[in-house]
Amino acid sequence: MPPKPIIRIENLTKTYRGSEIPALNNISLSVPKNEIFGLLGPNGAGKTTTISILCGFLRKDFGIVEINGLSIEKESNEIKKIIGLVPQEIALYETLTPIENLRFFGKMYGLEKDRLKRRTDECLSLMGLDKSRNKLIKTFSGGMKRRLNLIAGILHEPKILFLDEPTVGVDVQSRNVILEHLKELNKKGTTIIYTSHYMEEAEQFCSSIAIIDSGEIIVNGNPAELISKNQGCTSLETLYLLLTGRKLRDN
Amino acid sequence: MGRLITSVHKEFLILIRDKAGLAILFLMPMFLIFVMTLIQDNTFRELDETQINILFLDLDGDSLGVGIEKGLKSSGFFAVTTKKENAELNQENMNRLVAEGKFQIGIVVAAGATETIRNKARSVIELAFSDEDFSDESKHGLKEPGKIIVYFDPVIKNSYKQTVMMALQNFTNNVESKINFQYFTDEISNQLSVENKLMFDSEGGVSIEEQYATDKLTETLPNSVQHNVPAWAVFAMFFIIIPLTGNIIKERDSGSVLRLKLIPGSYLVSMMAKVSLYIVVCLIQFVLMLIVGMYILPMFGSPVLSLGSHKIALASMALAVALAAAGYGVMLGTIAGTHDQAASFGAVSVIILAALGGIWVPVFIMPGIMQTISMFSPLNWGLEGFYELFLRGGGFLDILSHIGLLVIFSIVMILIAYQYQRIKRI
Repeated sequence: MPPKPIIRIENLTKTYRGSEIPALNNISLSVPKNEIFGLLGPNGAGKTTTISILCGFLRKDFGIVEINGLSIEKESNEIKKIIGLVPQEIALYETLTPIENLRFFGKMYGLEKDRLKRRTDECLSLMGLDKSRNKLIKTFSGGMKRRLNLIAGILHEPKILFLDEPTVGVDVQSRNVILEHLKELNKKGTTIIYTSHYMEEAEQFCSSIAIIDSGEIIVNGNPAELISKNQGCTSLETLYLLLTGRKLRDN
Repeated sequence: MGRLITSVHKEFLILIRDKAGLAILFLMPMFLIFVMTLIQDNTFRELDETQINILFLDLDGDSLGVGIEKGLKSSGFFAVTTKKENAELNQENMNRLVAEGKFQIGIVVAAGATETIRNKARSVIELAFSDEDFSDESKHGLKEPGKIIVYFDPVIKNSYKQTVMMALQNFTNNVESKINFQYFTDEISNQLSVENKLMFDSEGGVSIEEQYATDKLTETLPNSVQHNVPAWAVFAMFFIIIPLTGNIIKERDSGSVLRLKLIPGSYLVSMMAKVSLYIVVCLIQFVLMLIVGMYILPMFGSPVLSLGSHKIALASMALAVALAAAGYGVMLGTIAGTHDQAASFGAVSVIILAALGGIWVPVFIMPGIMQTISMFSPLNWGLEGFYELFLRGGGFLDILSHIGLLVIFSIVMILIAYQYQRIKRI
């Protein structure tokens, strides 16, 4: 008997008010524990809608969504305790320092004083922000903000971490630090759900992926296996273009 | 409770880091109170303490002209300029001088006006003591009445106009009565062949006593500051909705709200933290505005603001207004799509609620339908509560209904905000 998936989605459908086309059309997915799962697709494919439903920000129309065996509707508070989110926006208070931001989010998660201090010191040090802990975030570079954005999402050590394009617009060094730290987290048992437009990054980083387009899952599996199954595909990017086409997507 | 304190601390740090915003938040209401009270000082004082500039041209040169000039000058309501002070004053350029706006009113007492009154009095007395029919008014001898021409600056308020007309009527009646009295007593003395020893008593037999109606013991005297400071304080306190909505929308736009919504139960805590902090901001604003009324405005000639004897009731009233303002701000910040929407709608809505609430114009002079609508303005509840304390000498029990309405309003606003964000989800 295969292990119970940490995320189970069955026939999930969502249509936004005023739209005739569903944002998610009957999708089914299953993410095993300890996976680094990449949800890839062009703009408007349904990635953010899926993550928003999983995080409880959006209501689904139909289907079943379970996280760690908990129903997204009935046990949303329990789910919130085990998940973390790193949104695409720098979801921090710019006029506060890193330490003030992290203390705030940590205390809101109910982290005890000693644990909060340990986690804050640990994460700031790992992300190379230790020396800037008392500077205002508005003075930070894009890369520094992204690294701190990640820390705020993992401070409470969630079982499942949702990352919405965590490396967008950052320099190579910051990207490297972020991805390395995420791999470390994964090794310690955190399941990672990750969206990105960087196919090379996704190919190296993810243990499994799903390509979504027009609200439907096109393929789902291990990146290397998916590439080898499709003739003429040498990378995830060529596979992606083959499956989603070369037509520009604006929304 | 720990989460609420954490959230309040975070909001406090955000607030104090914005030095310019902080200055605006606390200095602007003080400046508003200062400017509006001084400007409105004259409106509230009306003719009790403000002098109207009047040009006075006496072409009569007799009892009526002299009597009116004396009456105008001695009343203290008018700054009278006559030909003595302004040599170019004559009937031809009177209209021009008033139209230029330097003088609000010009009065010309026509030549022979007193003589006309005398002629009338004489003919009436003669008629009264003759055998002719007294009821026939055509025989009273008044062919052309004595004339007083009054020029008004078109921008003058109607209340000033009415006051001047009433004063003129009063002075004229006084002179006419004196002349009539003199002719009448002279004629009676003549008929009785006795010396006329009667003197005209301009004071009359009735005195008018002015008292403020209140059923409470109060040491507070109604004046412009007692009216203006609470009114503009309520208005200014509601303006915290602008920074408050800005704070909420900024948090939402930055994505921080997503993190908060992901923490179980933290969004309501975050909302309450904002309400708590902005209540404190409102209360500090209120204290600063009272300081302006008590210490700064008197330096510019205004009366000293009296807080009355019910300090706890005053603090409770301020707290209720602050709660209502913060609740309204949270609701608006949650529902508004953008900061521009919130700022423009918020500012205009507060101005409308203030107008309806009686802050610009007293409710009692509004049309009936507007008086009914004004009862639904939270600014009216706040204003009436403060008036109860500042002007009517009321205590805690007298403002309980106003506090109740403001608290209910605040709870409703916060519930709307909470439900809205729950339904909207993102």
